[in-house]
Amino acid sequence: MNKLWHVAWHEYRRHVFTRRFVLVGLLSVPLVILVLVGLIFLILSLDVNTTPLGYVDFSGLLDNPVSAPAPLWPDKPVPVLPFANEADARAALDAGRIQAYYVLPADYLSTGQLRVVHLDQLKSSPRVQFYDFLSANLLKNTDPVIANRLVKGAEIIVQSPDGTRNISSKNWFNVLIPIVSGIAFIIAMFSTGGYLMQAVVEEKENRTMEVIITSVSPNQLIAGKIIGDISVGLSQMILWLVFIIIPILAFRNSVTFLQGIQIGPQTLVLLGFVMFPAFVLVSAMMAAIGATVSEAREGQQMVGIISLPIWVPYMLTTLLMSNPNSPLAVGLSLFPLTAPLTMLMRDGLTILPAWQIALSSAILVLTAVATIWLAGRAFRIGMLRYGKRLKLREIFARQKVY
Amino acid sequence: MPAVDISHISKSFGPVKAVDDVSFSVEKGELFGLLGPNGAGKTTSLRVMLDIFKPEAGSVGILGGPMNEAKKDRIGYMPEERGLYQDIPLDRCLAYLGSLKGLNPVEVKQRSAAYLERFDLAAYKSKKVKELSKGMQQKAQVIATLLHQPELLIVDEPFGGLDPVNTQTVKDLLLEQHRKGVTIILCSHQMHQVEELCDRIVLIDHGKVMLYGALHDIRHQFSGHSVTVRTGDLITTLPGVERIEPINGTVKLHLSPGTAPQDILRALVARNINLEQFEISMPTLDEIFIRVVQGREVVA
Repeated sequence: MNKLWHVAWHEYRRHVFTRRFVLVGLLSVPLVILVLVGLIFLILSLDVNTTPLGYVDFSGLLDNPVSAPAPLWPDKPVPVLPFANEADARAALDAGRIQAYYVLPADYLSTGQLRVVHLDQLKSSPRVQFYDFLSANLLKNTDPVIANRLVKGAEIIVQSPDGTRNISSKNWFNVLIPIVSGIAFIIAMFSTGGYLMQAVVEEKENRTMEVIITSVSPNQLIAGKIIGDISVGLSQMILWLVFIIIPILAFRNSVTFLQGIQIGPQTLVLLGFVMFPAFVLVSAMMAAIGATVSEAREGQQMVGIISLPIWVPYMLTTLLMSNPNSPLAVGLSLFPLTAPLTMLMRDGLTILPAWQIALSSAILVLTAVATIWLAGRAFRIGMLRYGKRLKLREIFARQKVY
Repeated sequence: MPAVDISHISKSFGPVKAVDDVSFSVEKGELFGLLGPNGAGKTTSLRVMLDIFKPEAGSVGILGGPMNEAKKDRIGYMPEERGLYQDIPLDRCLAYLGSLKGLNPVEVKQRSAAYLERFDLAAYKSKKVKELSKGMQQKAQVIATLLHQPELLIVDEPFGGLDPVNTQTVKDLLLEQHRKGVTIILCSHQMHQVEELCDRIVLIDHGKVMLYGALHDIRHQFSGHSVTVRTGDLITTLPGVERIEPINGTVKLHLSPGTAPQDILRALVARNINLEQFEISMPTLDEIFIRVVQGREVVA
């Protein structure tokens, strides 16, 4: 096996098969998602008050009522009880047997006006369930197909002029998928890039570097490290994806909005042609930082400097979302460090012209190649520099290096 | 053809000339000493030799020509600053370092098992390197250097941090490798160790070669500056003697420059001193080292 692959495998193994990677690298994001989703469901379920609702009907609409369709999980059904007069309903309310009661006056069908009486704030779920109950009864003599259409409402699909992209009003969250995947990619890039930088600094600190470079060439070493680092990042993302896909598949039938989730081909193209070279670029930058600094803490400060432009598009979300094809958006899409997040943010909102994807990708690839060269040079000059930071001008200065 | 041929190499770091026109060669199968005080340029010379640094001038021939990637597998290098991965188990660390020297996993396993046994480290192979004592880590570093059975062994201060028992073990190991025909460059400032092990040396100070050649010849070159005399008579002063030093029943007479031992012998006989012993002192490498480094005498 080529020594490059030994280095790559060593780096991969060293970071992936550790407790820290399993706890922080792998489980952190799924756990955060799980906790967030759990909290949402908890809040929703706490929001549901299943104490019955009452009604007093003077309009005759609810003489022979039909039931409303069962609410979707995690909502729980709220029973609806008829009362002959308002006094009985009020007594039941005061006794706590019902949480509110509705009064439908005789002219309800002509005015659409009704009255609700409650002692405590009426939550949205019982209110919506009562309106569904009313709708079901208003439409009970209508053709079921039409009734169903009226109840479910219209689905507005915004389509791009070339017909390649659709965004449905019901699947609006698909807009967020590229942004979320971009953010996940960047988190993975920086966390694994951090491992790479730390590994290089550690090799300098514990003097392993001197032993290693008498066995492999600096080019093999740096290439092996970058391959190992990217493999760690990809493993991390694949496992995150598995953690996300499993609950989606598990709850697909019970949670309607999950059925509409889809990742468009443009997103996949961006992940492959923009995010991947961006990953290589960041890894090479991390290796260069590791070779330049003398201790890990110093490296962290430098990482802050390169992470700032990466997150700039996130800070400009409002501008980018309101006008995803503005010159600013295009400019940020072409600048290597802002391109990854900008492109994915725009992906959810607009059709990206092919030339922009191609140009952004080409710039990123060229920058990544140049950064690998730069990292290699910094590595060769700085690999045995102990206790003293390498200056940028030393990297560019004309000198014979290993 | 020498195993290592260093010819007029120079290397500077900014304004500091770390190595200045250094030349020496190491014959195949030789146990060669590279000496010098701290900061003399020894490690820089080794790094130039190993192609870690490019020299500004001069050339390096190693194992029959310039250094290349394939030759790295034939060289074992133990730097002065020990370097092992601290957060992984010892056996995994050795396996990785062995694999970078072209060994397959079976070879690494077999060879490291034998060395670990020999160095009493077998019980610690699953421990993380950082959990081992400094001496154990030092021994592990020796194993990592020898694992691939190098033809050329370059060891920088191999006895640093070792207790006498382990110092002897490493010394025996170096002699064993020497007997097997391995070329060894021993870089050290521990003169007595070099004196005991090496046939030829080069002494570098301030980046320049101060001494180079066979140890025996160098000692001869430096002999004659003192004589050892055993006598029952009292010697207080003698012409041509700068200092008289009593040592264990003998007297060491330090001669002034330009005085030959024969002059002293003639003076002693002329004074009717009863001589039981008269011997031209052969200086130790320590003494030569101090004289060269303090006096900056160049004898090459």
